Amino acid sequence: MSKEIEVARDVLQDNRQNAEANRQRFGREGVYVVNLMSGPGAGKTTLLERTAEALGKRVRMAVITGDIATTRDADRIGRHGVPALQINTGGACHIEAYQISRAADILKSGKLDLLVIENVGNLVCPAEFDLGEHDKVMMLSCTEGHDKPGKYPLMFQESRALILNKMDLQPHTNFDVEAALADARALNPTIDVVKMSAWKGEGLQAWFDWLLARMAATRRI
Amino acid sequence: MHETSVAQRMVDTAIEVADQNGGGRVVGMRLLLGEMTCVEPDTLSFAFGVASRGTRVEGCPLEIVRVPTRLRCRTCGAERGGELLEPCACGMPGGEVLAGRELRLATIDIEEEAALPAGDQR
Repeated sequence: MSKEIEVARDVLQDNRQNAEANRQRFGREGVYVVNLMSGPGAGKTTLLERTAEALGKRVRMAVITGDIATTRDADRIGRHGVPALQINTGGACHIEAYQISRAADILKSGKLDLLVIENVGNLVCPAEFDLGEHDKVMMLSCTEGHDKPGKYPLMFQESRALILNKMDLQPHTNFDVEAALADARALNPTIDVVKMSAWKGEGLQAWFDWLLARMAATRRI
Repeated sequence: MHETSVAQRMVDTAIEVADQNGGGRVVGMRLLLGEMTCVEPDTLSFAFGVASRGTRVEGCPLEIVRVPTRLRCRTCGAERGGELLEPCACGMPGGEVLAGRELRLATIDIEEEAALPAGDQR
């Protein structure tokens, strides 16, 4: 004999609850939190090095960086005078909200203006795990191909901004900027777009301005 | 590849709910899995078998019910199925996701002691 019991529970409910607690905490603390996502090798760490150089003395900034192994990313960013904490996910494909809450304790997020989460390089799984951030930002590099927004729609659909990186390489590839943007805007009509080459240092001012504007906007809420 | 952490949560939740309902073995489970949810059903079934080993959920058959995608057009408001980039009848692609992102434990079945015979008031 067995009886059926209604559960009706989201399997990732614990993560959602932790993310909501993070969101309320960051709101109270007045720190703007952005979740930067991309496939591996798109240029997230290079962009964060440039961002640390440019903004690290003007705003109180810290970075949480997620990778399966090594502290290389945190080491790179930390060299630019910004606290950087590495989360090793130990094989997992994404960061979870409870890890952000622990990292925020260590980084004393209440004394920060800007906290950037560099997610694990992955175009699929981070879409399923809310971290309690204010904004998600997707980075796509020209060498990955313009078909990616259509093939991995969820992460593009949920992002407030899309960074097209490695624009210096675009003339050497068949990357069709308009095709990538057409798909991204079909999924997300209001997505902001920033084109850059983080490595060459081109187009970065628009990104800094975007970040500062979002920081100011979330403070006013 | 987060099927293992999903499977572990399913086992934990099933045990918790079974305990709230008098304990016993979990002998059935139904999961709603949206077509857009980034979880692969075969991998999840395998991971579930591993995660349930040595628990009261071990051997429990897992029924995975796929939930089709439902989208609402942002321009004309019409509802449709299919993929996000397949345009609506009005020509616009994309839209609000109404269904298809579920990862939801719907029901579990727990084993009951055989019913006592009528008149037996032990």
